[in-house]
Amino acid sequence: MFEQFKDWYENRHEYAKKWKERTGGKVIGTFCTYVPEEILYAADILPVRILGSHEPQDVSEPHIFAMFCPFCRDCLAQGLKGRFDYLDGITIAQSCLHIRQTFTSWDLHIPVDFTYYLTHPMHIQSPRAIPYLTEELKEFKKAVEEWTGKEITEEDLKRGIEIMNTNRRLLQQVYELRKQPNPPLTGLEAMIMVVSSQMVDKREHNKALVELLEKLPSRSLDEPGERLMILGSEDDDTKFIAMVEDLGSRIVIDEHCTGTRYFYEEVNTNGDALASIAERYVKRIPCPSKDWPERTRVDHIVKLAKEYDIQGAIVMQMKFCDPHELDTPAIKKALENDVGVPTIFLEFDVTVPIGQFKTRVEAFLEILREEDLF
Amino acid sequence: MSNAESNKEYWRWTESRYTNPDLNWKDVDIISAGVDVGSVSTQAVIMVDGKIYCYSSMRTGSDSPDSANNAMDWALDGTGLSLDKIQYIVGTGYGRVNVSFAKRAITEIACHARGANFIYGPEIRTVLDMGGQDCKAIRCDQRGKVTAFLMNDKCAAGTGRGMEVFADLLQVHINDVGKMSLEVEEEPEPVSSTCVVFAKSEAVGLLRKGWPKEKVLAAYCSAMAHRVVTLLLRLGIEEKFAITGGIAKNIGVVKRIEDELKLKAPEPSIDPQLAGAIGAALFAKALVEKERKKS
Repeated sequence: MFEQFKDWYENRHEYAKKWKERTGGKVIGTFCTYVPEEILYAADILPVRILGSHEPQDVSEPHIFAMFCPFCRDCLAQGLKGRFDYLDGITIAQSCLHIRQTFTSWDLHIPVDFTYYLTHPMHIQSPRAIPYLTEELKEFKKAVEEWTGKEITEEDLKRGIEIMNTNRRLLQQVYELRKQPNPPLTGLEAMIMVVSSQMVDKREHNKALVELLEKLPSRSLDEPGERLMILGSEDDDTKFIAMVEDLGSRIVIDEHCTGTRYFYEEVNTNGDALASIAERYVKRIPCPSKDWPERTRVDHIVKLAKEYDIQGAIVMQMKFCDPHELDTPAIKKALENDVGVPTIFLEFDVTVPIGQFKTRVEAFLEILREEDLF
Repeated sequence: MSNAESNKEYWRWTESRYTNPDLNWKDVDIISAGVDVGSVSTQAVIMVDGKIYCYSSMRTGSDSPDSANNAMDWALDGTGLSLDKIQYIVGTGYGRVNVSFAKRAITEIACHARGANFIYGPEIRTVLDMGGQDCKAIRCDQRGKVTAFLMNDKCAAGTGRGMEVFADLLQVHINDVGKMSLEVEEEPEPVSSTCVVFAKSEAVGLLRKGWPKEKVLAAYCSAMAHRVVTLLLRLGIEEKFAITGGIAKNIGVVKRIEDELKLKAPEPSIDPQLAGAIGAALFAKALVEKERKKS
């Protein structure tokens, strides 16, 4: 049922190359989920998210500080190794320092036709953030128009919004099914589904999601075991998720920028398109690098914990990811004390020590299981 | 230095086996066993009605299934007892899934807490397991059930393997390291503890500077103690506190941990390296009783 998503996930580069051949269109690599893909779709450009490959690498060392997060270094390595050699452009929306360094280093060493650094408000809780971003989006739109030589009309933008919103709505519908006592999909399948949406033409992804939603409700899996949430920084470590679920538990919800933080809110379709896009990216569930001075994400995580009826939470972060590291104590406290959900904290790298992590997760499940062996 | 001297394996700790002369496996109700295949050492403990009947403790080879078999064979050696008479065997440790004759695998975190409860008594609430390649701080209840735990991240500093590296470098037998490290008049600054390899090169530098062996060992033991104390403080310590694993036998590290925490860890009555296998054997016994209740 998830073969198509898996195929996209595993063969992301082949897909993008074929898409270019087929459509003659341009492909832009995006860093971070704050890039307004609506504008790129409006310009008939395919946005693909630049993610790592989870292979040990040594090519990024001369260019990016070793104490920057492993994900950012892994991303840069993909560029240096030529894996994204089909890209016509790259763009980033300002977020954390580490991914910005990946972007600037990429720009320096792997020249592409179009590079855009989208200034994005960091203080998104300010009432001035939306007008600020609206103005920045105008500039971004203008730059894309100049590059492609084609005007982006209000109609184009509405079309871009519709493509993105449909994808968000369909993913949300699949996630609703995960609230069931026995969800019809695994956490691994959900992860591959959401991450693949960031690599392929959303119109195709939407079609696949519609087909999936026809079949999913009648699918029945084995008993789910402990219902877990996984939350934290960027995470598409499928090996880890598979290991956790092989131990007899089920991940039923995530709070990752490769998961719910990517698709949770839609763009309002009444009113000026750019202002509505700006509003969505300011009001979305924030990355902790922007969640200031209130930490709104903590309440959101607690809400998810209740909605998805979880029994335990895996709190992870990429090593050296300071924004997430800062939030961890507050999140652990809220989950453990306010809603009585035990947590386990794990620090990820490009590859995780699967044996040691297995021991930790298994011991965590033993605590949750309360089996009487005494 | 002679050839014989340079070939000496300073890191090699003493393997051991034991049979309790006061017990007879023939007239007991439940025979259970636990096998703890760790990254450095493997223990097999056989219990009769929850009492230690015999055990073995030896080095883990490169092959986990073989290590489990060897430890079990050695534990059974001379007892007249055979594998088929053991009603339930639980595997634990890093190689827990590779114990071919075990009915079930339970993590070493659960087993160490249970084992510490057996060795040191039900008042134990915090257990520090200092293993071959990792280190765990565990909180447990009066039954020895885990309530919370923390494990060090991928690094050998603060583990048995790190101590072996130092024994080898300084050519001091591993069993003597702890005692020797206390033979200093004044405690030196600890070596930087983030990495065994870095700590080792730092130690080489100190030796070149003319530091005597005991001072270098003191600097390393204190670094190791400091590192695990941090882990314990992150978890939060509730008394009483006990140490299990091979390093629990290193007085130089234990004393420094106690000094930093201002807490005394009780003296073990049984080899603390056996804690994991003891816990596993006790769980195996509980599982026999559980099966009986069902049928």
